[in-house]
Amino acid sequence: MQKALAGLRRINLDGLRWRVFDAKGQVLGRLASQIAVVLQGKDKPTYAPHVENGDMCIVLNAKDISVAGRKMTDKIYYWHTGYIGHLKERRLKDQMEKDPTEVIRKAVLRMLPRNRLRDDRDRKLRIFSGNEHPFHDRPVEPFVMPPRQVREMRPRTRRALIRA
Amino acid sequence: MTRVPRGYIARRRRTKMRSFASNFRGAHLRLNRMIIQQVRRAFVSSHRDRGRQKRDFRRLWITRINAATRVYNVFDSYSKLIHNLYKKELILNRKMLAQVAVSNPNNLYTISNKIKTID
Repeated sequence: MQKALAGLRRINLDGLRWRVFDAKGQVLGRLASQIAVVLQGKDKPTYAPHVENGDMCIVLNAKDISVAGRKMTDKIYYWHTGYIGHLKERRLKDQMEKDPTEVIRKAVLRMLPRNRLRDDRDRKLRIFSGNEHPFHDRPVEPFVMPPRQVREMRPRTRRALIRA
Repeated sequence: MTRVPRGYIARRRRTKMRSFASNFRGAHLRLNRMIIQQVRRAFVSSHRDRGRQKRDFRRLWITRINAATRVYNVFDSYSKLIHNLYKKELILNRKMLAQVAVSNPNNLYTISNKIKTID
């Protein structure tokens, strides 16, 4: 909780909206792309690429994010520590047990352009695995995801989802 | 052989360059050899970016128009707006559309109504 409130002073907060995303049952990548658009401020007609004017994004229920196919068991996050031979990996399932907010954070950060504004945008993104957030005194508005046709899950993927 | 100093030719050439470098940083505005290099780079950047400027601004206008059409519910997206503009042969370019979107959102509604009613 304390970590969620950290760094708020660094952001120039007036005029920014606080948008709440509910990740319950949402597909990881599709949610992340919407968050990335809002975070960059690209849904505002006053968008400028050199100025950081995105809204504050709060994501709730990060532990209830869903992925298609066998990604729960088969999606692997790789990173290299810099020492030779030290390529580390971790599966999505393990990451969700360890820290579910990191899954969404990685997804969103990797969708943002890699420039000097990326860190500021990261600071505007607050993710919570549960349903509560400490920002009730701010004017929060829920974000409505755009409508989407969901295809019926194929039997094999349905079995994989159950197995995961 | 008599001594023949080189005169003022080189100095004049370098002073001409110096005026372009008057707002550079540190040694880049003081030392002749650095001035020559940096001014050359500046001119190259300027030439290349004059072409880029046209591209960059069009990109910015398109992003802004896209955002505005979604916010004000004029059309579902930039692509639909442009398609309809072309269909109705309204020659508004993106620069004007973007300016309209930012300063005068009500006129966006006017434009969209005009598009929907001409037919």
